Amino acid sequence: MILTQDEKDMLNGKYGNIKAESIDYIIQLGEAFGAERLVDIVYCHYPAEMGIYKGNVEDAVEYASKGGKVSVPTTSSTLCCDLEKPAITGIPLSLAKLQMKIEDAHRSMGILETFTCTPQHLGFIPPFGSYTALVESSAIIYYNSVLGVRTNRGGLLTRYSAICGKYPLMGYLLDENRKGTHWFKVEIPEKRMDSSDAWSALGFYIGKIVGSEVPVIEGVTTQKQEHLLALGATLATAGSVTLFHLPGVTPEARTVNEAFHGKVPENYYHITEKDLDEVYSQLTNINRGEKIDFVTLGCPHYTLTQLQNVAEKLKNRSIADGVRFWICTNRMTRKQAEYSGIVERIEKSGAKVITDTCPVESHMRQSTCREYGLKVPNVEAMVCNSGKMLRYVKDLIGCRTALLNTDSCIESAIAGKLIK
Amino acid sequence: MKIYRVTKVVRGQCKAEIIVYPSSFSFLGDVDLETAVLLVGDDSLKGKSLAGKIFIFYETKGSSGGALVLQTLKNIGKAPAALISVKAPDFNLTEGAILNQVPFASGLDQSALYELKNGSIAELDLNNGILKVE
Repeated sequence: MILTQDEKDMLNGKYGNIKAESIDYIIQLGEAFGAERLVDIVYCHYPAEMGIYKGNVEDAVEYASKGGKVSVPTTSSTLCCDLEKPAITGIPLSLAKLQMKIEDAHRSMGILETFTCTPQHLGFIPPFGSYTALVESSAIIYYNSVLGVRTNRGGLLTRYSAICGKYPLMGYLLDENRKGTHWFKVEIPEKRMDSSDAWSALGFYIGKIVGSEVPVIEGVTTQKQEHLLALGATLATAGSVTLFHLPGVTPEARTVNEAFHGKVPENYYHITEKDLDEVYSQLTNINRGEKIDFVTLGCPHYTLTQLQNVAEKLKNRSIADGVRFWICTNRMTRKQAEYSGIVERIEKSGAKVITDTCPVESHMRQSTCREYGLKVPNVEAMVCNSGKMLRYVKDLIGCRTALLNTDSCIESAIAGKLIK
Repeated sequence: MKIYRVTKVVRGQCKAEIIVYPSSFSFLGDVDLETAVLLVGDDSLKGKSLAGKIFIFYETKGSSGGALVLQTLKNIGKAPAALISVKAPDFNLTEGAILNQVPFASGLDQSALYELKNGSIAELDLNNGILKVE
């Protein structure tokens, strides 16, 4: 690999051992995948270091104690509890206390304690075409596809990119890997696509077909942020999609032709309402009128506007006894929503606005309960407007599920049974 | 002695016993996290340990949890001495191999999966991209 003089100096210890170790790991990553050189990154979304993974927090605290500092603006991903109000999710205090240690560790390294899966909502939006190193699949696909910011699906080495400020020039950082590979023509009435659960279902269907390739989706369109977020989240969950193109909407695809870099394939997949129905039935095994005890909104973490809408719907209403209703967001958005009176209106109904975490990242995972000897939270049936959440809930919490639109989720919470 | 060419993924060299798993392998689920023994495979493989051995497999499949599995095995002193695959390397496992200093090669000829015998001693030299089997 070709290194600049400054990169060679860093590797040889001019900026200290911690930077030298970091760039060494990033060079090795580049060499493994044939990268010709490194590039400077302008932003990093740092891996969650979670209390529910044994040793994860201890490792992060030990690493921070060595004195390393991030060299680019760096935000952090979700945790296993709400650090400001740990009691809100019912997490045992001992596990919450372990998780809290991450805050000082991150601060000492210069990482901003955002603890969210949607840092783009907080204004961390570098320019079109810039290079970044991110974790969190729903953020990665949104940055790549909707914002045109370049990143691969980062893993364990993302920490070292933040420290040295470098990433190998490879994968989705390169033009040639950003062209569409699969063509999907969608024939579904516009009205049906006017809710984020429909986009979530569409992403789920396409993700399963396309795996880790680059889908180009034609025939349906949206300019709503929450629709694009929902689509990306399930593409990255049912498949491992890093980049999609929605011609006319996403910036690297003004047309289908441009999405395919001029080489439109001969064959395409035809998607109809029947295919969408199939996803709903795959993710739903609760019948209309059956009792539900958990309602989740905010996967990915909700925006201020989405919280505002929920508050409006919950005005002067109360959720049913025995129903947990979690609306998950990031801490900056909750602060603003508290200021605007939105949180108070939501909480008056019995619902909870939760930050830093979500059901599947929380202590409610069955495996976590077993590992820590906790009482397994009793969840029978969850409704949600996100296919991503429900995909993980099935395995990790092990309850019955239903994919519904946002209004039906709220009505179900009020009735204590599935309404649609 | 037989010599095979391989492509370096993660640097290093070692001399160790080999263990060959001729199919797709999932680090999450196919190996026990406390004992490093294989939980899958036929009678000649199931129950054999990967600890300290050169683990040769066709390709990785399944979850992206491979890096954490490798880290867990390393932490308890039971990581494989090296990894060799036939197919191209998996991103996540590569990250785990880099962080835990486990030499990793790919591009082994598929026929080697059937020629090589479990328990043979081999030397992996990734400066030169060579696997020497005694």
